[in-house]
Amino acid sequence: MKSEHFFVASRRFFSLTLLVIYNAAAVAGELKIGAATVDITPAPPVSVDGQMALRVATKVETPVEANIIVLESDGMGGKKTTSVWITCDVVTIPTELRDMIRAAVADRLPGFNTRNMLINATHTHTGGVVRANWYHEPDSILKVVDYQRFIAGRVAGGVAEAWEKRQAGSVSWGLGYAKVAYNRRARYADGSARMYGRTDVDEFRKIEGYEDQSINTLFFWSNSGSLMAACINVVSPAQIVESRSAINADYWHPLRQMLRDQNGRNLAVLGWIGAAGDQTPRPMYEHLAEARMVALRNGQKDLSTLGKDFRTDAYLKEMARRIAGCVNDICEVVRNDRHTDVQLVHQVEDWELPMRLVTEEEYAESKKARDEDSAEPKRALEMKRRIAWQQEVIDRYENQKKTGRPVYPVEIHVVRLGDIAIASNPFELFTDYGVQMKARSKALQTFVVQLAGPGTYLPTKEAEAGGHYSAIVQSVRVGPEGGQILVDKTVKAVNRLWP
Amino acid sequence: MRKVLTICLLLSGVLSYPVNAAGPLADPLRIGWASSDITPPKPVLLQGQFHARLSEGVKDPITATALAMESVKNGRTTRLILISADLISIADGMRGDADLRQEVRKRITAAVPELEPTDITLNGTHTHTAPVVSLADTKDIYGVSLDLISGGKEVMRPAEYFELAARRIADAAVNAWKSRKAGGISYGLSKAVIGHNRLQVDQAGKSLMYGNTGRPEFSHIEGYEDHNLNLLYTWDKSGKLTGVVINAAVPSQVSEHLYEISADFWTETRALLRQELGKDLFVLPQVSAAGDQSPHIMWGDKAEERMQKLMDMGEGGTGRNSMGRRRQIARHITDGVKAILPYMKKNIEWDPVVAQKTEVVPLSRRLLGQSDLETADKETAEWQPKYENLLADIKANPGKTKENRWYRDITIAHTRFRRGKSVHERYELEKTNPKLPVEIKVIRIGDMAIACNPFELYLDYGVRMKVKSPAVQTFIVQLSGGGTYLPTQRSINGGAYGAVPASTLFGPEGGNELVDKTVEMLKSLW
Repeated sequence: MKSEHFFVASRRFFSLTLLVIYNAAAVAGELKIGAATVDITPAPPVSVDGQMALRVATKVETPVEANIIVLESDGMGGKKTTSVWITCDVVTIPTELRDMIRAAVADRLPGFNTRNMLINATHTHTGGVVRANWYHEPDSILKVVDYQRFIAGRVAGGVAEAWEKRQAGSVSWGLGYAKVAYNRRARYADGSARMYGRTDVDEFRKIEGYEDQSINTLFFWSNSGSLMAACINVVSPAQIVESRSAINADYWHPLRQMLRDQNGRNLAVLGWIGAAGDQTPRPMYEHLAEARMVALRNGQKDLSTLGKDFRTDAYLKEMARRIAGCVNDICEVVRNDRHTDVQLVHQVEDWELPMRLVTEEEYAESKKARDEDSAEPKRALEMKRRIAWQQEVIDRYENQKKTGRPVYPVEIHVVRLGDIAIASNPFELFTDYGVQMKARSKALQTFVVQLAGPGTYLPTKEAEAGGHYSAIVQSVRVGPEGGQILVDKTVKAVNRLWP
Repeated sequence: MRKVLTICLLLSGVLSYPVNAAGPLADPLRIGWASSDITPPKPVLLQGQFHARLSEGVKDPITATALAMESVKNGRTTRLILISADLISIADGMRGDADLRQEVRKRITAAVPELEPTDITLNGTHTHTAPVVSLADTKDIYGVSLDLISGGKEVMRPAEYFELAARRIADAAVNAWKSRKAGGISYGLSKAVIGHNRLQVDQAGKSLMYGNTGRPEFSHIEGYEDHNLNLLYTWDKSGKLTGVVINAAVPSQVSEHLYEISADFWTETRALLRQELGKDLFVLPQVSAAGDQSPHIMWGDKAEERMQKLMDMGEGGTGRNSMGRRRQIARHITDGVKAILPYMKKNIEWDPVVAQKTEVVPLSRRLLGQSDLETADKETAEWQPKYENLLADIKANPGKTKENRWYRDITIAHTRFRRGKSVHERYELEKTNPKLPVEIKVIRIGDMAIACNPFELYLDYGVRMKVKSPAVQTFIVQLSGGGTYLPTQRSINGGAYGAVPASTLFGPEGGNELVDKTVEMLKSLW
């Protein structure tokens, strides 16, 4: 499968043309806030996104949502700045879906600045498929393009609703911690890595990398003091029940329920996933101790059947409870530190990052694997995603032969709101890169938002050395070289907002 | 599990003490708690930095807390005492002539003959503001006599403090033993994000302990963190909480720079727990494998400091090394202890299996190479003359000793030169003694385990012990002896303090042996 959006041929990396669009001047003014939540639950039967094999959901376990915040700030000379943030319960935000949403909003709100729309995915692996041509599409199920249109229409309606309802309000921000992130890459005595690898074997040596348990949170308040919306930045993707053939918003559903029970059913809850390409919400070790605590909390008497499978409703609630507890604690602390006149800047930049090059060996291996899966038509249909996975490597290799140094285009959003920064990227970004961004940022708090785009893992050098899924060529379009450039440019873009 | 027992639920929902038709059973588990003040009455040298620090006051007292348990099950009696002391480590003779562990055991077993020395386990909280415990002369430790450092003030010498600490720690243990009463335990896993890996790797792959993560060269945090809070609760016969063992992968060194006695964040933690869970509550801290961990924030410190201020924790300062950070950690731990308390109260075990095993195991030393020797000799060559010049200067200008903390630079120089020299000495010793014995202790209480080692053990080793342990939950206890870092290969590759030869007696080979032996011993209890 050729994926045209990332093959930007002919241009050499070192002669990048940087397109920087400054959509807003740095302004401080009265903040107007609008929020909305729309249901984007697809009607079953529908294919669900996120695994190698096709899964068809025949039931809806929880609704999936898009949560929306629209901000408007009065600027110098009466110029208005708008900033729109949208979180969707889907696995990624493919470029075509982003563009469809922008077009639908433009239809609903002529003249509206649709460029300043930051759209991210919670990475639930039990949402409808949003990537066209990703899986085989049986005739009996909802077509991907139809689901994309459905999402775009609903989200545009939500943006219009939030825009129309916008009112003067205030914002506060805070930081807390909840244990939600578990680095999912185990390393072994021979230096190899394995995603979700076993840790209870003699060869296990360490968990490969870091975890970031910070919960950065933004709260938006109406003038009457009620909580309208919250942005919760968790450095762990929503994929506890990732293998189910059902529609499920994963831990965001019980979390939103808990927060809405306390703050009203109209509360918009935006789930921002931090740099979490190597993270999971499920534990990698001490399974029995973790499972026992979940069982005790749920009043389970028989503890003799404790297992290692955390893909359960009880564990969804456990994660939601941890995050909700942290968010509530932060909320209490920052409730009285609300700001009405804050600087709002929203910049959108288009960058080109050097792609991770494919070696001749990798090319040959991918060809062999593709041919094996394609040999028999029935198997080829079943293995459509895996074949495409290998084909992409083959295409990349052939493309790089022609173009020399291919680059990968990315849309990056950098927002300043008062003392905090928001920095997006389209990747499943390994945590170390997010930590670098946060550590080097001049902002008081920096919210790193991954998967504000189509994704693909962006691993570290250490992970590449260990190999395995998420750090091998098939999983990766941009490697550590591009990762470092992404960090450096993001830090520069953020710090420009703190002159 | 328990035969002929009827479980009665009290109205409060607390599981009641086991009874049978004939009335209460003999007490299968008896638990006692006590603590003692181990604060020195006079100024002392404080342990934990390269430079000497003569204490200039007591910020808050330091204590020893003892938990005694006696289990009678299937005709077998098991006795054990866990002791946690607000000290940097528990001197065990590995790195000097002082053996506080042996001295405490000797005193306890003299007072309680039914106890064996190996029934008694000690650990330090790693506070860097507790006295030096040593029998050595101060001049040998710091290159300057204590009389010169103190300027003639009345002080307590390390050897005198050794005697005081041994006596008072033993007192706590004996009192805990004498106070034991029928009781039960429950154990659980909670969370608190309080320990942070303190090693930063730059783009060239070189590691640094602490430093500035905001620099462009910063690449990543070197290793893992463990935010689990392992908790062991004890209850009296009526279901009242009597104490809690708190096991976390973080050493207590927020205030490590002070020239005052302090138990660091455990002071605020004990106070907060007692305020919220009962004034008589005993708190026994254990540090899990945390050689590469610290309570300092490595990035995002401005946001943390703001939160401390907003949470009214600012009295006495906020940010790194502050009281605000100590209070913040106390809040996190207390929240973690309380978060699972309701379930712990409903799941008390009155008659758990209790077993223990202690072994002295020869572990492979970290064998030094020629380049290690050259680096060490270079350090000696650089710092010995500096020390000698500073010493000569002091002799020539005795008036300088009137200046506040005048001894800082000279004691740093001495420590640096001694570090280099000690590596050279080890290089020679290893030719004939490639192994060094260490004491490893494992305990089973019900389905949970405690595994003790004497090191500042890098966290990865602790994780490896946990994943291979047969227990449902395993508490790793580091600094159950005299210390020395035990780094991982990834840390040795990075080359930060803590992983260099001068900071370590053992390396990954010894670490692997420690993991394997600990797991083997744990399995023997199941």
